[in-house]
Amino acid sequence: MLKVENLKKTFAKNTPNEHLALDNLSLDVKAGEFITVLGSNGAGKSTLFNAVCGTFLPDGGKIILDGKDITFECEHKRAKSIGRVFQDPMRGTAPNMTIEENLALAYSRKYKGPLSWAIKNKDRDFFRSILSEFGMGLEDRLKTKVGLLSGGQRQVVTLTMCTMVTPKLLLLDEHTAALDPATADKVMEITNDIVKRNNLTTLMITHNMAQALTTGTRTIMLDSGQIIMDVAGAERDKMTIDDVLEMYSQKKKQSFANDRMLLN
Amino acid sequence: MTLWIGSLQLGLLYGIMAIGIYISFRILNIPDLTAEGSFTFGLAVSAIFTVNGHPFLGLIMAIIAGIIAGNVTAFLQTKLFIHPVLAGILTMSGLYSINLWVMGGSSNLSLIGQDTVFKYVQNLSGLDANSVKTILAIISALICVIILILFFKTQLGMCIRAVGDNEAMVSASSINVDRTKFIGFGISNALIALSGGLIAQYQGYADINSGMGILVVGLASVIIGEVFLGKRGVAVGVCSAVLGSVVYRFIIAWATRSNFFPAYMLKLISAIIVALALAIPAIKYYKEIRKIKGGDKNA
Ligand SMILES: Nc1ncnc2c1ncn2[C@@H]1O[C@H](COP(=O)(O)OP(=O)(O)OP(=O)(O)O)[C@@H](O)[C@H]1O
Ligand SMILES: [Mg+2]
Repeated sequence: MLKVENLKKTFAKNTPNEHLALDNLSLDVKAGEFITVLGSNGAGKSTLFNAVCGTFLPDGGKIILDGKDITFECEHKRAKSIGRVFQDPMRGTAPNMTIEENLALAYSRKYKGPLSWAIKNKDRDFFRSILSEFGMGLEDRLKTKVGLLSGGQRQVVTLTMCTMVTPKLLLLDEHTAALDPATADKVMEITNDIVKRNNLTTLMITHNMAQALTTGTRTIMLDSGQIIMDVAGAERDKMTIDDVLEMYSQKKKQSFANDRMLLN
Repeated sequence: MTLWIGSLQLGLLYGIMAIGIYISFRILNIPDLTAEGSFTFGLAVSAIFTVNGHPFLGLIMAIIAGIIAGNVTAFLQTKLFIHPVLAGILTMSGLYSINLWVMGGSSNLSLIGQDTVFKYVQNLSGLDANSVKTILAIISALICVIILILFFKTQLGMCIRAVGDNEAMVSASSINVDRTKFIGFGISNALIALSGGLIAQYQGYADINSGMGILVVGLASVIIGEVFLGKRGVAVGVCSAVLGSVVYRFIIAWATRSNFFPAYMLKLISAIIVALALAIPAIKYYKEIRKIKGGDKNA
């Protein structure tokens, strides 16, 4: 479904702050896979998502989505097939517009001409029915401005917006990070449910290792813009958090040794 | 009485301009200074077409002129990455020359004795000049209000609102932000230029400096309207811009009639009204601080 080949991105090139954020990264995501993405702060996880979404153009490499080379396609065109939930609940919704207006924005862009009514009554019924599945009472607050909702409620709205028109690829960037544990669990449960029901190809960034191993079908770990771990199937099922940590420190030691060799 | 009727007519015609300002300042959330130029652009185009015997076509051309002006500003902003305020100033400044060119190099154009839309309707209906002016002002303002209220309920209208509300979100969704801005600025300046076009035919003359300070007048109208109707959605906002414009003209009529201040003070008064209205949050903030400090002293 998604194929990333030798993706390279250096920020602030030719300055003292030069930073290699993606280092020849390659990744092959099959249709229907649910990949959890681990990695320390600054490993390049969000940068990978940004590259896939077209927030910036990579310095090298290729991005292929569903057989189509999208490396140089502009952001809003790719957005038609990619759903994305940001780490920051403020980013995914328009605060001064109501819940139904936000949902309609996401819903109608695929099916409607620019001069058709944004919200019809049957749309409203549809919004109510999908929101009611979350059991958060949002279905009765369609006319509430999204800016008045809590972070968790906003993430649920964003998640709904991203998935109500089934995307080819769903990207979740620590979308439960800003939420309290109970709400985070709930949103995670909803996420799992949506992904399963629509058989969505998904990448989810998380810092929760237990969650990373138990959710989805495959786990990768990024470090310094490279994939240093990629496990799936039985190997992944056997893995514990300690194994992951062990693997991480081994890789770190290895690269440290390599550096030493270079310096000597 | 004629003074009040006259103010109503002016308020409605300038109200169309106020809707344009409302769209750029309140909906797109971008201060667009193109207004000063596009108002005169519409005025000049409408005047020159009227002089040549095509008053109705003149209004349509004024709308097109406004769309062009708005799109130039949008182009400078989105494609050339020029700061929004500067982009507006550049267009406005360039339009000064264009407007003089449209008016054949003279800074003043008289439409006395020409067939304006007002004269045309007057001849057709047999009503007196003043009634025709009132009726046409009401009809044109009403048409604009209705079209815009409907427009902002469409998919495209909602995209324009979303761009003004959370641009980051919009660019991450599948909406073309740049194109939306072109359309938004086009509509905003089309209204402003149409207002200019109507004013030219209403007054019976076009002056190259008619657009000076028009932005502040428009902002004052928007703010006065919000005092009456509050900030409650786009439909109310569009109506309140027109209402604010009418009230603004009434205030001016009252002030000039009671010799409260001489006419040349108008721009200063408008600027002060706008500055005060925009300062309300700051004033509230200082009051709050004083209350907290005062409370400490008493404790
Ligand atoms: N636009 C940018 N300009 C310059 N540097 C950037 C930019 N975006 C990211 N970086 C740098 O790239 C590196 C990777 O950042 P990224 O946001 O991908 O980290 P992350 O893995 O998502 O971390 P976190 O877990 O903290 O979200 C960081 O060192 C960051 O400073
Ligand atoms: Mg990140």
